[in-house]
Amino acid sequence: MNNGNNIIEIRNLKKSYDKGKINALNGLDLEIKKGEFVSIMGPSGSGKSTLLNMIGALDRGDEGSIEVAGVDLMHKSSLNEFRSTEIGFVFQMHNLIPNLTVLENVEIPMYETKLSSKEMHQRALELLKSVNLEDKIDQNPTKLSGGERQRVAIARALVNHPSIILADEPTGALDSKTGDIILSLLKELHQKERVTLVMVTHEPYVAQMAGRIINVLDGRIESSNLT
Amino acid sequence: MSFISLVVKNPFRNKTRSSLAIVGIAIGIMVIVALGMITGGLKTSTQSTLKAGSAEITVIQAGSSGSGGFGSGSINQSRVADVQKLSGVKDAAGTLRASYDLQGSNSSSSSGSPGGGLPSMGFSITGINSDKLSLAGVDSVNGTAFTNGSVNEIIVGKTAAQDLNKTVGDTVNLYGKDFKITGIFETGSFMTDSGAFMSLETLQNLTNNQNKVSSIAVKINDNANTTEVSKTIQDAYPNELNTTTAAAQESRINQGLSFIDTASWAISLLAIFIGGVGVINTMIMSVYERTREIGVLKAVGWKDRRILGMILGESIVLTLIAAVVGTVVAVVGVEVLLSVSTFGTVIQPSFSLDIFLRAFGVAFLVGIIGGLYPAYRASRLAPTEALRYE
Repeated sequence: MNNGNNIIEIRNLKKSYDKGKINALNGLDLEIKKGEFVSIMGPSGSGKSTLLNMIGALDRGDEGSIEVAGVDLMHKSSLNEFRSTEIGFVFQMHNLIPNLTVLENVEIPMYETKLSSKEMHQRALELLKSVNLEDKIDQNPTKLSGGERQRVAIARALVNHPSIILADEPTGALDSKTGDIILSLLKELHQKERVTLVMVTHEPYVAQMAGRIINVLDGRIESSNLT
Repeated sequence: MSFISLVVKNPFRNKTRSSLAIVGIAIGIMVIVALGMITGGLKTSTQSTLKAGSAEITVIQAGSSGSGGFGSGSINQSRVADVQKLSGVKDAAGTLRASYDLQGSNSSSSSGSPGGGLPSMGFSITGINSDKLSLAGVDSVNGTAFTNGSVNEIIVGKTAAQDLNKTVGDTVNLYGKDFKITGIFETGSFMTDSGAFMSLETLQNLTNNQNKVSSIAVKINDNANTTEVSKTIQDAYPNELNTTTAAAQESRINQGLSFIDTASWAISLLAIFIGGVGVINTMIMSVYERTREIGVLKAVGWKDRRILGMILGESIVLTLIAAVVGTVVAVVGVEVLLSVSTFGTVIQPSFSLDIFLRAFGVAFLVGIIGGLYPAYRASRLAPTEALRYE
């Protein structure tokens, strides 16, 4: 089914919650090309976060098909390895582990790899340098500003060289100035690392940063427009 | 940072809660170690007491208890020679035992095994012929033994010498007379080493028990049977003498020690239960608080098995720290307690590896039992629900 250029191919994907009372995805079709930067917009409850969870293999669909980075997510038995190697998540609330240092937070996704502690340390350090946080590596995340925390979260998302970065409202908890810095960083890393970037946002201005804007409504793609 | 470092670091996120959990388990471990050290010490002391002396049979007056109730010398001394003539008897020694209050200067004589007693409970003096000392367990004396019939010579046990702060050549006042310490002995039995021996005749005169002994220590021939010789003695003097064998005493004491052992294990089980509940509570609270974090770990690709291992490991870290704390407190506590109390002279705490292995085994088990459910719960969390958790 996979077109060689597409990293994400979704066909007629359905997902309901609460014993079918809530239809989050209602036969959704979507294709995203390798290396694309896509924004997903839509009102609350439209299904955009559910879609992001499906692409990130945090949840499974009820019907239809979803293939991400060549993996059939409807039928693959264990999705941990897939998440570890193919996906990097950036959450709205950063979700850093408070008792660990900045460096240790970035090392966390590498525990499932075969890297040694030294290699993990080296890799985390490189990424923290790329997000300009090399002077904060031993600090506790609670001591950082919102923008700095989100940069740590971005470094953590990239540490396992994923094919896709899934960002759920990455600027939602930041002021506009800091949000701009984070978006620029995401865009720069997307180009530099040649990673596919899928970003959920409410903000039309933020969505404009992407190459394509997809609007989701009632669990379906309402529109898909190049910016 | 390695995974193990992470597991060791995590329990200290909430220091107060973890410390309380550690204290709870440490108390249980402390009880296990302290009891183990004391009962182990008691066992060793009791066994050395039983082994002290080469006499296999102790003859006492019929009607008195085997362990020896207090009273005056009640066996006619002529019976010592009579018993020695019986079939199977290799040697026999008449002993008279008295208890002397060094502070109050009161005395009483008793029947029962030779030697023994606590200075604070009355200084135990045994009268025996010096050539028969080996039957009372005294094989060697630092200095010289007293002379038979001497009225002012005495040998004291090592523990008694330490307690009285006396050495060879010093004198000790008993029954209003000064006795010269001619030697100090050590048998390994806390009871015997806390007492003293003097000439039988002298003690008989001092306690008005002329020609009386309180017990007869009997050594049997190499090829004789203890039970048979014991029966021969009883049959020869059916209403007069009774016997007790070292084997029978050992069996009785072993029953007592086995009861202490069972009680110690019961306390260990109780510690496992109480400690386990404490750990479950701590770890469940920890998992609840970290639900979102567990969702993140799943999102970044952690396997369920790793999350299970992390929570279980944290639980074990808590209980092993508690084991270290409990063990240190128990060792220091027992040593301090014994050094300031009179029990220090009778109990030498045991430092057997078995006690510490049991303590750490219990702690490890509590860690596994207490952490298993919270760890399983954490590993089964659905990532999307965990990430939504507020």
